[in-house]
This record gives sequence, structure tokens and C-alpha cells, in this order.
Amino acid sequence: MTTTVDDAEPGAVTTTVSRPRPHRALLFFLLKRVAITAGLLLGVTIVTFGLVTVVPGDPVTANLSDQALNDPATVAAFREKWGLDQPLYVQYLQYLGNLFQGDLGISQQTGRTVADDLLQYVPATMELAIPTMVLALLIGTGIGMLAAVRNGRVTDQLIRVGALLGLSTPPFWLSLVVLYVFFYQLGLAPSGGRLSTDFSPPPTVTGMYTVDAALAGQWDVAWDAAQHLVLPVLVLTSLTVAMLVRFVRSSMLEVLQQDYIRAAYAKGLPARVVFRRHLLRAGLVPVITVSGLAFASLLSGTVLVENIFGWPGLGQYAYRSATALDLPAILGVSLFVALVYTLVNLTVDLLYGLIDPRIRLS
Amino acid sequence: MSVSPRRLRVGAIALAALAIASSTACSAGGSGGSGDGGSAKTLTVNTSFVLKTLDPGRIYEATGLTAVHSLYDTLLTFEGSDVSKPVPALAESYEASPDAKTFTFKLREGVKFSDGTALTADDVVFSLNRLKNVKASPAVMVSGLTFAKTDERTVVVTSATADPNIPVVLAMPSTGVVNSKVAKEHGATDAADAAKNDTAQQYLDTNSVGSGPYVLKSYDPSAQVVLEANPNYWGDKPEFSRVVLRNMDVQTQKLTMQRAGGSEIALDISGKLLEGLPGSLKTSAMQDTVYFLFLNADPAVSPVTSNAKFNQALRAAIDYEGIAGLYGKGAAPGAGLVAPAYPGALPAEEQSKRDVAKAKALLTEAGLTNPTVKFNYPAITYKGVDLGTVATKVQGDAAEAGIKLELTPQPLTTFLDEMRTGKMALGFTPQSLNYPVADSLINNMSPGQATALRSGWTVERADPAVVTAGKKVTETLDLAARAAAMQQWQRAMNAASPYVVLASNSSTVVASGDLTGTDYTAAGWQVDLAAVGRG
Repeated sequence: MTTTVDDAEPGAVTTTVSRPRPHRALLFFLLKRVAITAGLLLGVTIVTFGLVTVVPGDPVTANLSDQALNDPATVAAFREKWGLDQPLYVQYLQYLGNLFQGDLGISQQTGRTVADDLLQYVPATMELAIPTMVLALLIGTGIGMLAAVRNGRVTDQLIRVGALLGLSTPPFWLSLVVLYVFFYQLGLAPSGGRLSTDFSPPPTVTGMYTVDAALAGQWDVAWDAAQHLVLPVLVLTSLTVAMLVRFVRSSMLEVLQQDYIRAAYAKGLPARVVFRRHLLRAGLVPVITVSGLAFASLLSGTVLVENIFGWPGLGQYAYRSATALDLPAILGVSLFVALVYTLVNLTVDLLYGLIDPRIRLS
Repeated sequence: MSVSPRRLRVGAIALAALAIASSTACSAGGSGGSGDGGSAKTLTVNTSFVLKTLDPGRIYEATGLTAVHSLYDTLLTFEGSDVSKPVPALAESYEASPDAKTFTFKLREGVKFSDGTALTADDVVFSLNRLKNVKASPAVMVSGLTFAKTDERTVVVTSATADPNIPVVLAMPSTGVVNSKVAKEHGATDAADAAKNDTAQQYLDTNSVGSGPYVLKSYDPSAQVVLEANPNYWGDKPEFSRVVLRNMDVQTQKLTMQRAGGSEIALDISGKLLEGLPGSLKTSAMQDTVYFLFLNADPAVSPVTSNAKFNQALRAAIDYEGIAGLYGKGAAPGAGLVAPAYPGALPAEEQSKRDVAKAKALLTEAGLTNPTVKFNYPAITYKGVDLGTVATKVQGDAAEAGIKLELTPQPLTTFLDEMRTGKMALGFTPQSLNYPVADSLINNMSPGQATALRSGWTVERADPAVVTAGKKVTETLDLAARAAAMQQWQRAMNAASPYVVLASNSSTVVASGDLTGTDYTAAGWQVDLAAVGRG
């Protein structure tokens, strides 16, 4: 089969790609990505294991009290319990064996399985990341496009300065300012946490309080949980928007300067057609990549923001695990983050093909 | 080129406006919903979580101790902020043998666990043996003890060596009595191999099986712990039927307390952060932490720090008043290794004082000109104090006397590891006691003991007077006399040990004005949640 893209309009880049069996190509592409992902995750376990052992610091020191450290029996019991008395390669092989059975191990910090921990902390982070990403895409794309079409004018200058300020603002500082203004001065939002102390968490379905409370019909809890989202989402959105605006602007500017856009206008195509068929599609491709990475970054943890707002998400869990040299937890978080990045990249690659047919999976 | 058709521009503006409007609408959604402060029957406790578990056999972190004290009863306890004298709890009375090796506890009648079953001597013995054999951090407190029952209401605790502080140990939350039947059903064991085979932690983290004034409602070690009043509690019912311990950054705690509508407590506002709090709030503080330098006494590690004259010169060079000023309200210049909150602390008039001229003279006597020493410290903020700021001040003070300190900040675990190797020339660390008895300092910091050896301080390198003073403490069985002996030991340590106490700092409870019983206690549980009332 032979397809041509937009051959009705002169000036458009016409690419002909031979795709005899698209479904097979897609299947092959996905299988290849699964294999790469498996190799990547294996690599993550090796690197993480290696890094944790070369980093100065002993999990025993990080987990036992000072007096307990002076007691050889207590130290020996800890080493034996966590397998730290075994050679490193034995520890690694044991971990790998368990991993193949779906067992991520037990966190030295929480005493729970790492899988349980991830199931608790990931939804909390998702609850921040999803609205942040939706808002950031809407605002960032809109403002970025506005800056592009107003290139060089006052609006563009203001937007660029704003984006630069946004990118230069440390997240923890912005969190404190937002907290001071909206909680302390104006009393418009709660200070932190996921829920007011008057409420108990809703029955767990997704782990996201707003969703779970709505599913359970606990509207007062859902409303309270939604209010607790406002400030951290505001901070994260501001930071993500600042990044997106710059990419959207530069991407759009690049496309606007292409000959085929000029030609499209020259032949009298309506602006909305040019916008929808050419500008939006071509301009948003690089933005998808950046958005994907931004989303993955939000999911893999925004430690400082979570810390200021007392948000029990993956960022806090990762930080606590790292400072306690809690190897099973560190490995669990690393694997999760690697998986997120892989899936996001896969999604981005698939979206490329959907948005811009010139790009194919081959 | 600038292609900007009008409609394209309008579209972009509209999209941006829509997005901003939706964001603003979302923000407005938060209005009117501070929600902080809690309802009439909820007490909110804001604290930066230091929490790994709520299993009494494994507990030693601050947040967990506070919760576990309210979930599990112990044989004895402390009332309010007085940590000098244990008072009855599960044990209505006890007797100590004259040699301070055998302690017999008579259990209170009619005590029930939260599930309604009766608490027996078997539960007490099981809990204490489990604590000992699980070999987690708190086990060292009871490692030399044996536990037995003589009848259903009598428990005997025996120590291999004379130890008049056993009643204090048995007031600690880690000695909390668990319902042995339920605990066993969920993997608990008190056998000698409990360290390997006890699997009850996960259950005990999410369920309480005690007889304390509260029961555990929910547990999230990153966010909050919720307690509810125990309907079967044998003692006075607590005023608040619900307590929420909430994880909160220190800065946010201060903002929250400044807006607190009522029934709210913060546990980490200390030092400089105490400034500017509204007068309507109550603050209770106790100096329970000391910050000290340690100099390596091993000439092979450092010929400079092992020089006794250099040691004394550095002591004389430090501006103790200035350092206490860095800590803020509630701090004091260093006196001895025992923090002022505990029995046996040195009085305020014995606080160390600066004498730069003396420092210079001592350096000359030591035969050292512009000595240079690497100065390690953990790059952390502890109880509101950035250790780097204090280290920089020490560096400046030492420089005025002609001593050059090379600042070497380290991540906490790296610092602790290097300290344990005994190769650190000069280090700086805070220290709090695991339980309110300073005798453990003798067992750790006297010459030849584990902590002392990290500074290369062997018995051979020590002044015999220090060794004698330490022995005097452990041989004295009367607690008042023991406290006096402790003071003598500290004076000997100040004269000839490798430790230089810089300052002591306070821990605090900041509470809204409507609350009573919010005294800070150095017993480990910070504030007795069940004693908090409204008045």
C-alpha cells in the first residue's frame, strides 16, 4: 500500500512511505520496545546495586540507633535479617530471583513490601501530576502559541520574561511563597497534607482521594481533598508551564517560517485550516516529547514541593529511602521510574505517528 | 518572517485565556476551606515525621514514640515533664532489692486490652522478652535483663548487674505491653530467635494491640497517624476522642500555628523559629540536646588533636555564648555532657567560657604554631539548627586563637560511617538520650567504651581520674547520690576528655492557647497526648 500525505495542497511536504503490513510493523515495534525495556530494567538493577554499594555509608548505621550500633549482637541481627552478611553477588541474585517472581522485597524503612509502598505513594503523586499536566498543557500551549504569533512584540517579550522567571524560580521557594500568600495571608487554601484532620481517607480504589471519595459518594471528602490539591498543583503547574511555553514558542516559530506554511497562505487557505492541518501538527511534535518528559518527571517525584506541602508522594518516599540507604526501596523506586520513562517514551513515539503522519514507526 | 493572521492570533489568545481561567477557577476552589485546626474533639499534632514503625518492640524514633506511648501501657510512666521519678502505670507498685538487681512489679487489677480481653503477667513477660529478642534498636536497654512472672499479677525483672535505673527503662514506650495472643496470631514471637522469625511488624504498624488510652485508627508513615480513644481504657478518658499526628515541614508548622483556630500542637518549632509567634500560643521547652565536638585521642590519627594542650586550647578558644546565640531562644552555652533536662546535669554557673589569650598560651605550650585540623560534621539541620552555621562559627573562633579548621561537611550516613571507623580527627554532632537516664553516657563515652573508641580514647590514654569518676557513678545505687556523682564525672570529663560541649538546645511543644497539659517531656514521647485537655 502506498500513502501520500496531504497531496491536495501544494507546498506540503509529500512523503511516500511503503508500509506493506502496518499491524505487523506495529507489533514488531512494540515487541522490540518490550525487549529493550526488559534490558533497561535489568540494567537499572545492576547500576543501582552497584551505586548503593560504592556510596559511602552503611545501611546498618542509617537504620539503628547509636547505642544499638555499639551492640554487636544487634548489628549482627540486622545484617542477617536483611541479608547484608551475604556477598554482594548473592544479594543481587537473590533480589533478581525474587524480582522475577514479582517480589520487590521489603523496605527497611517502613517494614512493608516495596510493592505496597509504591501502591500507596504512586497514586498520591498521580493525583498531583495529572491535573498539573492537564493545566500545564492548556496554559503552556496557549501562551506559547500566543508568544509565537506575537513574535518580537511586547506580548512576546513579557511572556518570555515570565517563562524565564518561572524556570529560574526554585520550587521550594515558590511553594513557601504560595503557602504564605494563599494559606497564611488570605486563608484561601489549606496548608498541606492530602486531607483535613477532620476527615478520614475514603475507601481505596485508585488511591487518589478525590476520585475514591467521589466513587464512594463522599462529596465532602472529595471537596476537601480537591482543596488540598490546589496549592501544590499551582506550584507544579507554574513550573511546568514555564518550560512548555519556551518549547511551544520556539517550535511554533520554526514551523511558521517553513516554506509550506507561507505557500499555504499564499494559495489562500483559511487560517484555521493552516493552523489545524499544518501548524498545530508540526509544531506540537517536539512539544509532545517535552510534555512526556515533564509528566515522567512529575511522576518520578517532586521532592521539595511534596516536602513543603506534606504530600506523601513518591518523591518523599524516594528521598527517605535514599537517605536511609534502604536498598530494596531504592531499587523499587528506580525500577518504577525507569518503567515510567520507558512507557512515556513509547507513548510519545506512538503519538508522533498519530499527529504527524510523516513520522512512521519504521 | 512574521505570519500572524488575525484569526490565528485570536485563537491563541482564547486558548490561553481559557486555560488561565480554568486554573483560576481551580484555585478558587480552595477558598474557604482551610480545614486545618480540627473539630472540637480532634487534637491535631503537627510534626516533621521521624517515623518508621509503631511496633513497640522496634520503636525508637520520635514520632513513633509519641504515638506508641498513647497506644500501649508500660509498667511505669512519667507524669508531665518530670522525668526524675517514674510513677505507677500498669504496675500499681514495685519493690527493688537492696542490691538493685531484682525488681518486683505488682500489676493493677482490671486492666483490659482495647479488644476487651484481660491483661495478664504473661502479656508483660511476653512483651519484654520479645523486645529483648527482636534485637531492634531499643533492645539494648533491656539486653542484660531477664523477665519472669511469679503469679498472675506479679512480674519480676532481674539484672545481671546492679542497675537502679531499671524502673526508668520500664517506663519507655518500647516496653509497652502487647496483647500476646493477638500478637502471636500475627507473627510475633518472644523466642531467642525472634530477631529472625518475628514477622509481626507489618501488622503492628497498622493495628494496635495495647491497653493505652488510644487505639490506632490509621497509619501512613509519610502523611499522618490517626488515633482514637480506647473505649476499654482503664484510666481517665482522654479529653480528645481523636488525635491526628500530621507530617508537616517546620516552616509550615509555624505558619499553621500562627493561624491555628484551636486544639493544635506543633512539635518542631524551636530556636529562631520561636521568634514572632503570637502571644496567644503556649510554648513549653526543655534543654534535652547537647552539641559537642570530639577530638581524636589517637596520635596515629592526629598528632594535633591528641595533644592534651591543643585540646584545652580549642576549649578556651570557643565563644560559647555566641554559639548559643546561633541556636536562638531556649539554648544555653555548654556545661557538661548531660543536657539540663536530665538529672545529673551541671548547673548553669558552670557553663564554659571563652578565653582567647589562654588558648594562645596553651597552643604555645603545646609547641604548635598555626595548627591545621580537618573538621567533619553532618550537613544537616537538627532541631532547627543548621550544623554548618555552627561549624563555621567554631572555625572563626578557633582562627582567632591561631587554630585553622578545614570544614568538611558530609551527608549524615557518610559522617556516621566515618566516625565509626575512629579515623576522624575532629568531629561535631548533636546528642539526645534514648531514655531519660544519663548513665548510658558513662557506658558509651567513658574511656575504652564504644563511643569513646571512635575518638581513639582508650583507658591507657585517659586520665585515671576520669575512669574513677565513671566507676563512682555506676557503683552508686542511691539515685540522688548518683546524680551528684554524675556531675563529678562531667567535671572530670571537661578537664581531660576529648569532648567539648558547645551548647545545649531545647525541644519544644507549641500549643494553641485553649489547650492544657501540653508540657514538653524529655521522656521520649515529647508530649503526653492523653493528658492534653482544653481549659
